[in-house]
Amino acid sequence: MMDSRVLLAATLLLPVLMLLACLFPQLRVRMPRLLALAPVPALAAALLAVGGPPLLLPAAMLRVTLSLDLPGAMLLGAAALLWTAAGAYAAVDLRGKPHAPRFAVWWLMTLTGNLGVFLAADLASFYLFYALVSLSAYGLVVHAGTPGARRAGAVYVALALLGEAALLLSFVLLAAGSEGDSVLIRDVVAALPTSPWRDATVALLIAGLGLKIGLVPMHVWMPLAYSAAPFAAAAVMSGAAVKAGVIGLIRFLPLDTPLPNAGGALAAIGLFGAFYGVAIGITQRNPKTVLAYSSVSQMGLLAAVFGMGMAAGDASTASAASFYAANHVLVKGGLFLALGVVAKTSARRAWPVLLPAAVLALSLGGLPFTGGALAKWAVKAPLGEGAVGMLATLSAVGSTMLMLHFLQTLVNTSSNEAGQGPPPAALSVPWLASAFAAVALPWALFLTVANGSLHEVLAPTSFWKASWPIALGTALALALRRFEHRLPRVPVGDWVVAAEHATHAFKGWGEAMERADGRLRQWSVAGVSFLTVALILGALMLVSS
Amino acid sequence: MISSFEGTTASGFLLVLAIVAPFIGVLMSLALGGRAAERIALLLMPVGLGIALTIASGVWRSSAALLYVLGGWKPPLGVVLRADGLSAVMLVTTAILIGAAGLFARAEFQVPRGAPERRAPLMFWTLLLAVWGALNLVFLSSDLFNFYVALELLTFAAVPLVCLSGRAETLAAGLRYMLFALLGSVFYLLGVALLYGAYGVLDVGLLSSRIQPEPVVWVALSLMTAGLLAKTALFPLHLWLPPAHAGAPAAASAVLSALVVKGSFFLIVRLWFDVMPGRMPEAAAQLLGALGAAAILFGSVVALRQTRLKLLIAYSTVAQIGYLFFVFPLVIGSDVAHAWNGAAWTGGWMQLLSHAFAKAAMFLAAGLIAEAAGHDRTAELGGIGRALPISVIAFGLGGLSLMGVPPSGGFVAKWLLLTAAIEAGQWWWAIVMLAGGLLAGSYVFRVLGQLWRDVDEPLVLRTKVSPRREAIALALALCAVLLGFVSLEPAALLQIGRTHALEFVLR
Repeated sequence: MMDSRVLLAATLLLPVLMLLACLFPQLRVRMPRLLALAPVPALAAALLAVGGPPLLLPAAMLRVTLSLDLPGAMLLGAAALLWTAAGAYAAVDLRGKPHAPRFAVWWLMTLTGNLGVFLAADLASFYLFYALVSLSAYGLVVHAGTPGARRAGAVYVALALLGEAALLLSFVLLAAGSEGDSVLIRDVVAALPTSPWRDATVALLIAGLGLKIGLVPMHVWMPLAYSAAPFAAAAVMSGAAVKAGVIGLIRFLPLDTPLPNAGGALAAIGLFGAFYGVAIGITQRNPKTVLAYSSVSQMGLLAAVFGMGMAAGDASTASAASFYAANHVLVKGGLFLALGVVAKTSARRAWPVLLPAAVLALSLGGLPFTGGALAKWAVKAPLGEGAVGMLATLSAVGSTMLMLHFLQTLVNTSSNEAGQGPPPAALSVPWLASAFAAVALPWALFLTVANGSLHEVLAPTSFWKASWPIALGTALALALRRFEHRLPRVPVGDWVVAAEHATHAFKGWGEAMERADGRLRQWSVAGVSFLTVALILGALMLVSS
Repeated sequence: MISSFEGTTASGFLLVLAIVAPFIGVLMSLALGGRAAERIALLLMPVGLGIALTIASGVWRSSAALLYVLGGWKPPLGVVLRADGLSAVMLVTTAILIGAAGLFARAEFQVPRGAPERRAPLMFWTLLLAVWGALNLVFLSSDLFNFYVALELLTFAAVPLVCLSGRAETLAAGLRYMLFALLGSVFYLLGVALLYGAYGVLDVGLLSSRIQPEPVVWVALSLMTAGLLAKTALFPLHLWLPPAHAGAPAAASAVLSALVVKGSFFLIVRLWFDVMPGRMPEAAAQLLGALGAAAILFGSVVALRQTRLKLLIAYSTVAQIGYLFFVFPLVIGSDVAHAWNGAAWTGGWMQLLSHAFAKAAMFLAAGLIAEAAGHDRTAELGGIGRALPISVIAFGLGGLSLMGVPPSGGFVAKWLLLTAAIEAGQWWWAIVMLAGGLLAGSYVFRVLGQLWRDVDEPLVLRTKVSPRREAIALALALCAVLLGFVSLEPAALLQIGRTHALEFVLR
């Protein structure tokens, strides 16, 4: 058998080589057609390299260590499937477009960071890949070049940088808080519970990683970015790139030590987000925006899972959360691809797309026999039977409502123009492949690595437990249609609009600082500052000696 | 240190050569004229790099400072040249960057065959060599008066580089630079005079063994430090830097921002960590850190508001200089036994090196962009990303290092400085560093957005840009980005020759 380390190396090497090939103009123009190939080694690694020995790169200030554990492999495999399908979709979608090569470069950079983050086993390389996936996605967001896309890009990158800053400080605290020189994530996290800066570290980790998964109130970039990005880009961002935050939470939260306060707080914020995403989502008309708010809701629930796991000190939360997240990768990514196909299909002939899309959409509400139902089953244990478990079930009702609203907007998207025919075959293949994977992969994982029992999930009580939220959600969604026109129009990105007004105040500060700079750089003022600096320095030294 | 005055070490003559070679080039250029100046300079660059590398390997192999006693006269009568690990690192960096600037400047300052000689090329090549020689003198001197001579040479070589184009605004900028730098020199010289009056020696080693914490020393050191701060353009003494660095030709801006301001910073370090090791009063260290913090925040915000590319880069230099001054509170505040192999010391020098490469790359890239577009107003540069992708990528990679994105040297520097701040319990510097990274990210992304923006009609380029010059900018940017992959050994190099360990003095 091939050494698993070769696969780990190839996972990153192929996209990097493709990126380097983009330096040559003749190869660059061909690259958009090859995007689907880039994640193939990652897929092989996810299947064959789990639990193998780590790959160490030579000793340097940044000592890169790559390894693949089970949660990482689940997410890597799901992400690689989505990147393949979306890459095939993008190849068709970009054909003949003038900026296709540029898009391919940003795509490959985001992909490299995204795959790398699942493999990184040390602080520096995790930070490297995390920064790569976050910052490169900027190019995907602004690709359309419209003022709206530029605005979304600005908000996105500002928040991404804020998240990076929080994460950098938390990593420094992690390294400083552990005794040895090791910068392996495993070692520094093991020392976290006894670190003098434990609470600050955990808070910064949650802030930095939470921003990536759209934890309320740091979710505002999500609706803006997904609405602005092209369909394929929105698919990989919402499906795969977001999971960089999830794997971060899995790797860095000290899940085997009970931390009731921090865990409780995270669970509360997460549950709030689960409902908040639904509440804002149902007021939206753009299906991309609706899907974005659904991500806010889904990732909120996942945050609650982490919170409960951390509060109880339950290490098995990691695999439950990664199963839940792996399901979300393909479902959410697939729905964005469906959206792209429907937009090019005549309204009357859209049903071959709409039908599987409906299954995927309701999977997010936990439709029986779908991956969503399995995911709900997986996180049942960490969430518990109490109030939190009940709220989580109610959030499934909300998700059902939201996804039915999404299907409504999806139908509205289908083209009424003459000349549009059945779904374009070249675009439909990647979409249907991702839809198939979204149904099949959770079952495959469930039966192989998640130790699920068929008996339990197929029992009538399970069926009932999964069905009533769907039924209630459907009823509420029907009721909602009657009041739809009375719903407030919440702007895309909710509070960010208010914050953008507030930045005008910062502009005032900037102007003031520029004026101050002008004054400081006058001769008279600079001379006085010079003398003052000398005098204060002298005075401080005389006094303190 | 005293015991090391045995005499010249084996390859000590190289230290003389490192200083003398550029100045011989200056004299020959002046004698032979503009046509020869370029050839002399370009010939000397590999030679100088070779000398610097030989010195560095000598320091590395012997794990001790190299010494050269001029004329065999030992201090206090004579003068000693000394190359410790810091000097070695700085010599090599300087040789690389001067070489890159020289290769880059060929297109601009070439005297074509048959064309009449112009003044600018002769001036550029001789001044570039003079800056190089002066910097090497700064790095190799070990005597307060020698430092002064080196500083003056540096100023008088750097100022004319600023006003090479002869335009009125660059003349004004050069004048401003010179007057303020002279003010700094006067303060520095006053301090030297006070110390010489008190102790009768100028040699760093001898002085450090005799110096006592007494009022005259504090007065002298505050004068010298303030003078050097003015030359380093630390906020609020940065009045001369933005117009000077933005107005100079691209190759000169790169050298000024990457190296020249670091020369006076290097002397502040010599002053506080070699002349007065471990005796910097906590309050003074905090003041320097606070000025650095103000520089970071203020310089970055003002950079964010600039509408011209070169001015933006110049203000970014104002901000990046600030990080260097965190070395003082953090080394003073760190564990005594680990002062020289600790995070603060290594991080500070890593910041200096990575900024040098990143900023040189950014200035060169900006120069190419301005040359091609005919201006450097960022709002009107939409589409330049398609026309000059390599230059824009070089600018962006340099920017990534400023932001502290891994694996860049800027990331390693920030990581180490943050660690030092946390370990010393001085978390306030950590917050400023993170804010500085955010602001740097904002101005880098804002500009990149403008450069990559699509425009309806393609940009009309005034001149064709040679791919070779773009490659130089890109190579420097890659150096900055890949600095993080350099093994830890150069960090050990930074400690060689730190004979006066802090604990020895504090005992």
